[in-house]
Amino acid sequence: MNLYMGKMLVVDLSAESVTTEPLRAEWLREYWGAWGLALAYYTDAVSPEVDPLAPENAVVIMTAPLCGTLVPLASRMCLVSKSPHTGTIFESNVGGSFGPELKYAGYDGIIIKGRASSPVFLKIDDDRVSIECAEHMAGQGIFETEKLMEAAMGAHGAKTLAIGPAAENLITYSMIGSESYRQFGRGGTGALFGSKNLKGIVCRGTGGVRVADMARFLERTDHYTKNDLLCDDNLWAKTDGTPILVEVTNEMGIHPTRNYTKGFNGRKDRLNSDAIQAAKLGNRACASCPMACGKFTRVNSAEIEGPEYETLCLGGSNCEVHDLEAVIRFNRLCDDLGLDTMTCGSTISLAMEMTENGVHDFKLRFGQVDEYLKVVYEIATLSTERGRDLAKGAKHLAAKYGAEDLSMEVKGLEMPAYEPRGNFGMGIAYATSERGACHLRAFPIFATDPHDIDALVSDVVDAQNANSIKWSLGFCDFWGTINTTIEADLMSAGLGEAVSAEELDQAGERIWTLSRLFNLAAGFTAADDTLPKKIMERPLEAGRHEGRVFSRPDLARAIQSYYQLRDWSAKGIPSSRKLAALGLDKKTL
Amino acid sequence: MKKELFANPDLCTGCNRCTIACSAKNEGVFQPSKARLRVTNFPLRGFSVPNVCFQCPKANCLEACPNDAMFRGADGVVRLNRDLCSGCGNCVNACPYGMVEQNAKGIPYKCDLCDGDPACVKECHAEALVHAAGDAALFQLKAAQMKTRPQSGTPLEKRHKVAQTIKRNSRG
Repeated sequence: MNLYMGKMLVVDLSAESVTTEPLRAEWLREYWGAWGLALAYYTDAVSPEVDPLAPENAVVIMTAPLCGTLVPLASRMCLVSKSPHTGTIFESNVGGSFGPELKYAGYDGIIIKGRASSPVFLKIDDDRVSIECAEHMAGQGIFETEKLMEAAMGAHGAKTLAIGPAAENLITYSMIGSESYRQFGRGGTGALFGSKNLKGIVCRGTGGVRVADMARFLERTDHYTKNDLLCDDNLWAKTDGTPILVEVTNEMGIHPTRNYTKGFNGRKDRLNSDAIQAAKLGNRACASCPMACGKFTRVNSAEIEGPEYETLCLGGSNCEVHDLEAVIRFNRLCDDLGLDTMTCGSTISLAMEMTENGVHDFKLRFGQVDEYLKVVYEIATLSTERGRDLAKGAKHLAAKYGAEDLSMEVKGLEMPAYEPRGNFGMGIAYATSERGACHLRAFPIFATDPHDIDALVSDVVDAQNANSIKWSLGFCDFWGTINTTIEADLMSAGLGEAVSAEELDQAGERIWTLSRLFNLAAGFTAADDTLPKKIMERPLEAGRHEGRVFSRPDLARAIQSYYQLRDWSAKGIPSSRKLAALGLDKKTL
Repeated sequence: MKKELFANPDLCTGCNRCTIACSAKNEGVFQPSKARLRVTNFPLRGFSVPNVCFQCPKANCLEACPNDAMFRGADGVVRLNRDLCSGCGNCVNACPYGMVEQNAKGIPYKCDLCDGDPACVKECHAEALVHAAGDAALFQLKAAQMKTRPQSGTPLEKRHKVAQTIKRNSRG
């Protein structure tokens, strides 16, 4: 096959069996790869009522068709399952080079079912695939686990996915790490592995990815790399990486500070891109990426690839920690123990506000570095009472102590580092995302008028559809100027079959709509398409949008307008007309 | 002046565009395991080493070849004449840098710098790979990289040993 390997790996940990099956050809032109194809496989295998941490749940990891080729920024890999943190359908994606390696080993993706009776890891050495004992890795951090799995492969450079103690303890915001500093970060992907007693996956592949016409494929790849990717709109990723957003969001007045109390951090200079550049040792890249947005930094003895913007804000400004070394240490602890830095940072900032307000004394205060670093370990290991409290995430922590008005999440997923009162578009994006508050579905921070609801609703719908297909083709967010015309041309050259932008557009909408159907079947309703109380009631302090709220009536109007634009009912249910148009009318969940 | 290939690990981002491009050009498939150069990654330390063929002035692969299949061109590049190759594999064992490996038929992959227009260099946006006449600094860099010459092990093990020394010198 061209672009695809044509084969899925099916791992049943209860039965201790590993088999392969041909890729479902009838789904390729509807779901394409990564997110879409994983969603198709997942919804085919599992009922929406499933308990995410039960053996009956499945985890689908899927590469994308252009992954492993010279097309830049196209090698991201998606994981789809039901999230133990939100109870929604959940897609999480990771860069690095595990995806290409899996394809070189001969597989487009992996379906993991069941639960092993004791800790195991999966070893993929081309067509030799085995379930191996991982008892000696139990309790180890991600860095050491990756080292041990690489040694078990007996080959330097084998690619790895691994969990740490946080995931073994089934913490619902534990993650799966890859190559030290890359993650399937959000939604508790780690706990999914943990619940299956799966400590990790190690992979070595020596095969290759074929295309229909190499000369034409390389010519098209070179054309778009030079004339679209490596242009002014995208080069921030090469020069600065995500830390550039510290200045951008402060300037916009949407930089969450002090648990989303303020939209501006007066001490941003300590954590901005200049601070990162001063600490930088080198640039790091995912497979086949010429941008190398990863900045490897060191302050004193603390080194890491990162911190990225979300961590600089949610683990920095939002906790009023302005010490880059402390943020690097926080980031490294999370990466090794296996916690999502975003949810972890946000939950800590909530506990800080609860302490300062006298709701409950967690001995955590804004700007207090020692306790902030200590509590990360306590969360991952569940070793103290406050660690166990914070391990539940913001929603449950707030609920336990009656502080619901301070919890900054949507559908249980803690908000990213863009303040919705200063940009209603981000609020609409958070409220309507299938996985809870997320910035990777729509990202309207550069809208002309950040409070023009009608225009923003339309922007959000377009971006959600476009990103659904973009992630399904494995593209990275940071090829910001790519569109379905470019995507279709590259796919056509690789497959040797005509692919149109229109069918990719429609696939994006199909994927988004199928996710909605899953959530409705899992018990979510229009009432869940909402925002935190603080955003709707408490005026934003500091920055350009001081005094703003995103009021309930404004949000209600936005949501109804969003449903209408999608041809969904007032209760947020897709019309039968829309389902028929997308070929989803016969889909049973 | 004749051009040589120089690698600067301090600039390498670990992206592997070089190995992907090399296999596409020389094998017609995206398959880094068949590339004529490799990248050794140390992700935890944020460091990567491009393992390249140095076209050694005293080339062990050439000396070990019993059939004169390996020969040096006028441009100084060590090449393989496939018609004379018996697939014995002596060159694989002889290269101290792990830069020669055999395909399924026993024919070695050998970097020939794409006859003066290396595909890897064109795809190296970090400028960690340079095809140039070279200056004192580049020759010094290359000499330092050539110092570690593991005599035993598989090509992968040799490349890893070489890369590890380079990493230690740069990042501790």
